[in-house]
Amino acid sequence: MDERVQIPLPCLSSSWLRTERLRTQKEVGHLAMSEDFTSKLMNDMDPALLDFIKTKVNSFIKWDLIRFFYENPHTADTAQNVARYTGRHVDAIEPELEGLVKDNVMQEHKIDGTTIYSLVPDEETRSLVEQFVLACEDRHFRVKAVYHIIKNMR
Amino acid sequence: MERVETGIAELDEMLRGGFLPQTANMVEGAPGTGKTTLGMQFIYNGIVKYDEPGLILTFEEFPQQYYRDAASFGWDFRALERADRLRVIMTSPEVSRVDLETVGGTIESAVHDMGARRILVDSLSHFERLTEDPIELRSIQYSFINALKREGLTAMLTKESEAILGEVYSDESVAFVADSYLLLRYVEIESAIHKALLVLKLRGSDHAKDIRQFQVTEKGIRLQARFEGQEGLMSGSPHRSMADSFVEAFVRK
Repeated sequence: MDERVQIPLPCLSSSWLRTERLRTQKEVGHLAMSEDFTSKLMNDMDPALLDFIKTKVNSFIKWDLIRFFYENPHTADTAQNVARYTGRHVDAIEPELEGLVKDNVMQEHKIDGTTIYSLVPDEETRSLVEQFVLACEDRHFRVKAVYHIIKNMR
Repeated sequence: MERVETGIAELDEMLRGGFLPQTANMVEGAPGTGKTTLGMQFIYNGIVKYDEPGLILTFEEFPQQYYRDAASFGWDFRALERADRLRVIMTSPEVSRVDLETVGGTIESAVHDMGARRILVDSLSHFERLTEDPIELRSIQYSFINALKREGLTAMLTKESEAILGEVYSDESVAFVADSYLLLRYVEIESAIHKALLVLKLRGSDHAKDIRQFQVTEKGIRLQARFEGQEGLMSGSPHRSMADSFVEAFVRK
């Protein structure tokens, strides 16, 4: 005797298919609405800071570096030493420093063939860096910043 | 003779008015004796009391640490930086050495931009990692100090002593390079630790030869009276002088 359990197949009637399609459309719609809502919520900050995060901070190492140079604003050193000060590997730090130089947050100059990194002296950028670091003291702002960085990394 | 006052009255008195302008002044001591505090006070007083902007060049401690330590004495270093009267520059000996040799380097630019007159280098000991050759090291330090003088700066340079208590053997080559030499020491007297300051050398000037007690108070370093009736203070474990022992044994009874 065949003792295999019989699993009932769903009824593939046209009305069932219609219901399923409607349900999927509803779910997708909810998802889109929810993503839209999250995005709205996460974008709710000073537009200048939002732009700063989206275009310049955009990685956790850059966040660390910006914080370090804000707290120690007249630091001028090699990538190797900056890596030592921030407790990271130079291979991880160097491209991020280069990125910040490209985005005009940091500047580099060569001394005797060695590249030295420091924060740009420009008042406007320094003020934006300060606003960002101070805003990060607020947990809600941090959550929003993390969201944008992760979204950017995907 | 023109003097660069430290702003610590008793120390200036020991230095017969202060350091000489554009000189390198070494402060040597064990960890915690107060070298950095003395240096910060020299810079802070320069800005606030004598209108002489200053630089702090740090090779190990983060500037953040200086802001915090200074704040505990009531000195707002962040505000002084905002007012462009002070810059706490964190860098490495190899970078600062080449930087000073280069026209338009960070330090030179800072001197010109803000009119800095004083500098604290914390600490010169870090130059030791550049070479193991003592002759080359002396040459590097000599060149570095001359570059600071070239920029018109009166420098206070800290130097770490390896021993905390007991006989301390100083690196003589640095003593030759510096224009003045201040020693900070822990001294054990009757089961208590005291701090002592001695001006060992002041090139081109007379100076006090006594060993003075000092304390790090909530307003910075404060010098007190000289140690009385003690001998062998700089060894870290002094003993009563013979005269005092005689008085103690026979007269006071």
